[in-house]
Amino acid sequence: MDSFTAITLAVFLPFVLAGILPMVGKVLKNRIGWYASAVAFLSLMLVAWVAPAVIHGEDIHGSISWLPSVGIDLSFYGDGLSIMFGFIVSGIGLIIMSYSNGYMSTREDLPRYYQQLLFFMGSMLGMVFSANLIQLFIFWELTSITSFLLIGYWRNRPLSVYGATKSLLVTATGGLFMLAGFLVLQSMTGTFDIPAILQNESMIAVIKGHELFILALLLILIGATSKSAQGPFYIWLPNAMEAPTPVSAFLHSATMVKAGIYLVARMHPIFSGTDAWFILVSGVGIITMLAAGFLAFRQTDIKGILAYSTISQLAYLMTMYGYTTHQHPGIGVAAASFHLLNHASFKACLFLVAGIVAHETATRDITKMGGLRKEMPVTFILAVIAALSMAGIPPLSGFLSKEMFYEASLEMGQALGGSFTYMIPALAVLGGVLTFAYSIKLIDGIFLGKRPAHGLPEHIHDPGWVMILPTALLALLIVLFGLVPSIPSHYIVGPTAGSILSETADLHIELWHGFTPSLMMTIVTFVLGILTYTRYESIAAWQNRFNSRHPMISVNYFYDAAVDNAKNITSGFSSRMQPGTVKTYVTALLLLLLVLFIIPVIQISTDVIPAGLNFDIPPYEAILFTFMIIAALGAALLPRYIPAVISLSGLGYLVSLLFIYLSAPDLALTQVLVETLSTIIFLLAIVKIPQRFRERMSTSVLTKDILISSAVALTVFILMINATQGIVSPFESLSHYFIENSLPLAGGHNIVNVIIVDFRGYDTLGEISVLCLAAFGVYNLIHSRGEGE
Amino acid sequence: MNNTLLSLTIAIMFGIGTFLILRRDIVRVIIGLSVLSHAVNLLIVSTGVFYGTKVPIIANDGGHGVTEETGTIFNDVLSENILAPILAPGHSVAYVDPLVQALVLTAIVISLATTAFILILAYRIYEEYGTTDIKELRRLRG
Repeated sequence: MDSFTAITLAVFLPFVLAGILPMVGKVLKNRIGWYASAVAFLSLMLVAWVAPAVIHGEDIHGSISWLPSVGIDLSFYGDGLSIMFGFIVSGIGLIIMSYSNGYMSTREDLPRYYQQLLFFMGSMLGMVFSANLIQLFIFWELTSITSFLLIGYWRNRPLSVYGATKSLLVTATGGLFMLAGFLVLQSMTGTFDIPAILQNESMIAVIKGHELFILALLLILIGATSKSAQGPFYIWLPNAMEAPTPVSAFLHSATMVKAGIYLVARMHPIFSGTDAWFILVSGVGIITMLAAGFLAFRQTDIKGILAYSTISQLAYLMTMYGYTTHQHPGIGVAAASFHLLNHASFKACLFLVAGIVAHETATRDITKMGGLRKEMPVTFILAVIAALSMAGIPPLSGFLSKEMFYEASLEMGQALGGSFTYMIPALAVLGGVLTFAYSIKLIDGIFLGKRPAHGLPEHIHDPGWVMILPTALLALLIVLFGLVPSIPSHYIVGPTAGSILSETADLHIELWHGFTPSLMMTIVTFVLGILTYTRYESIAAWQNRFNSRHPMISVNYFYDAAVDNAKNITSGFSSRMQPGTVKTYVTALLLLLLVLFIIPVIQISTDVIPAGLNFDIPPYEAILFTFMIIAALGAALLPRYIPAVISLSGLGYLVSLLFIYLSAPDLALTQVLVETLSTIIFLLAIVKIPQRFRERMSTSVLTKDILISSAVALTVFILMINATQGIVSPFESLSHYFIENSLPLAGGHNIVNVIIVDFRGYDTLGEISVLCLAAFGVYNLIHSRGEGE
Repeated sequence: MNNTLLSLTIAIMFGIGTFLILRRDIVRVIIGLSVLSHAVNLLIVSTGVFYGTKVPIIANDGGHGVTEETGTIFNDVLSENILAPILAPGHSVAYVDPLVQALVLTAIVISLATTAFILILAYRIYEEYGTTDIKELRRLRG
């Protein structure tokens, strides 16, 4: 099995195996979660199987031809960045699906839950390994859709539905902007193939000098920021917390929200090294980092705190990937990649702890908790490890990547010079301070202090090993990465940074590296963090006051207003467009048709009409025409049904006579038979409908209808005059084929019959099916009588 | 076939059909649909006629091709356009377009099916709601 096959399998096996999951579920019943975990394990093994080659600097690239005419192939590309994401997605997937076995009640619809999780995992893997921009977009939107389904897992909770809709609106719309950005990129490069762009330095130089550069960058960044809940697009992530907690841990902290970060990292070689990149990516990142960290204070829901913290932490990553100068395009790349890995582990761990706590205490409100350390000692230790890692306390992994963040900020500040020298590091420290404060709040609020007198269940205890073990595994990774940073740096972060910077990154991450400026910044962070924490409640109270005084200063306010307005406008529009009266629709359709017909007719041949009129016909034809018009008028104007139907039937027989003049004997025969039948059916039906209703037409209605009818008649007349003027057809008529081959191929003399029963036999089969369907319909309509009573 | 009066007749049938389908009475609408389908069929067939003049039925020529006619049945003016084959041997023949006729043949049969169906539908609507007025039905449905 070569590496390309392994990646293809890792992506598509989850889809295939999720497809048969409902069947397996019938056998395994409540143990179906272990089947899903096994699938995740399989994907993890497949990713691990290709990892060694990539770590040694080899890139995997292969494709299967899909739509070669537009340059879209099913192609996969594996470099350090993809492999890191592959590990995170399948590894956390395995942990989450195992954990869910304990978390999800057996009363839930488990097959649907695990199926959607697996679909998501496959989509996410497909996205990070995509070598083609269009393919990346498809998998990207698939993750949005599966996320929508999982957030709305509890379909009958209004908040779930609200959160799911919000996430889909924001992320899928952002995805469309991203697609537009990809198309702009393609118009600059002429290819959708990502490695082809990445490995071609002259092409990247062309892009950077191109006038569409800013447009492409903006569009792609809108996609990335909406997916990663950055800037004003953050609003969907807090509402996404309505999903089951394992889903939040998997999608909305560790993997899916990092898709935007992945995109930024993937596009880094193409766009970085420019001012626009720094301003847009780091600018959005720093603002989001501070704002989200600040807003986290107000949250009382533990998942709410974690959601805002996720937004803030993702903003760290954005900021670091955005650090760039012309000389050093990737100042923060290594730090960002390491922090990305750490964030996936400690935040997923915290979410799982939150899940355990909510599961045991039946509440997620942090104000109702406290003092749980004695009752849940194991959970307490795990929570402390994860939260302290987030706060950046040594010797945990978060400390290392936060130090690297500070280093990168210092370097960036110095590179820019001027007032930036101190401003950027100061902002970074401020972000760290906020993170420190809410991290401590999580531990203090849930586990320390005194147990509230009431509001919590009597007996609270650590959960079973099914939920503890996956959480502990993550905590173990946090400690391991902190104590022995050479493992992640050598095997994961190094190759990742190397593939983004397209050079071998020389990484030396060490726990102790002397009294550097970044260590000073860390110490300042701790001091300020503790000070901030003492003011935590008053800051939260101030935010609450501000919010209730100024409800309009909020992105959510605008989102809700926009969605409400859109609903009102569209429902108003559709009720006006669809009044329900057939006449309106028919009139609109007819007038549209008239316009569509008359425009080309006028364009082609206004000069033909005067020359081509021919009134020279035999008298018997003139008589026939007169009778036809009389019959048609009779059908229209005779006031009672039966005379009108008789008149209509007369018209039908006259039409069959006309068919004979038009050299169509078969049609004439058919028409006679059909007309006889339809007259019988008409009369049968009409005698059962007493004519009670008679339309009183006002003059205005009459005038309007006559005008419309005359317009239709006139258009048809002009159309026919033109059609029979001998316009030279631009292609040879198909009819020649039938005329020439009727006898030799089908052995029939009557060409029309041969076409009906031989050349176009399937059409006739369709026609017979229509007859059958109509017969069934009539039968059922008649037999449905009396059922309603 | 360059025949202005035929075009005019078909156009008038279109006009009458259109007027009928704009009515409020369902039965009138159905009659209108029938008139319209006649008109459409005639329109299609008549556009195929200009291509040639002869009925698309091949004479028995022993299977050697279609361009030669071998016998005549009738020879008067009235039957000339109707009954085939009518040309003397050795003459080339231009048939009318057989494809449009095949299309229309299918259309005629299908319009029978749909007419039958909507008639019964109208009958059932009357049974359920006691009216054939479209506006009244709309009001009853709310």
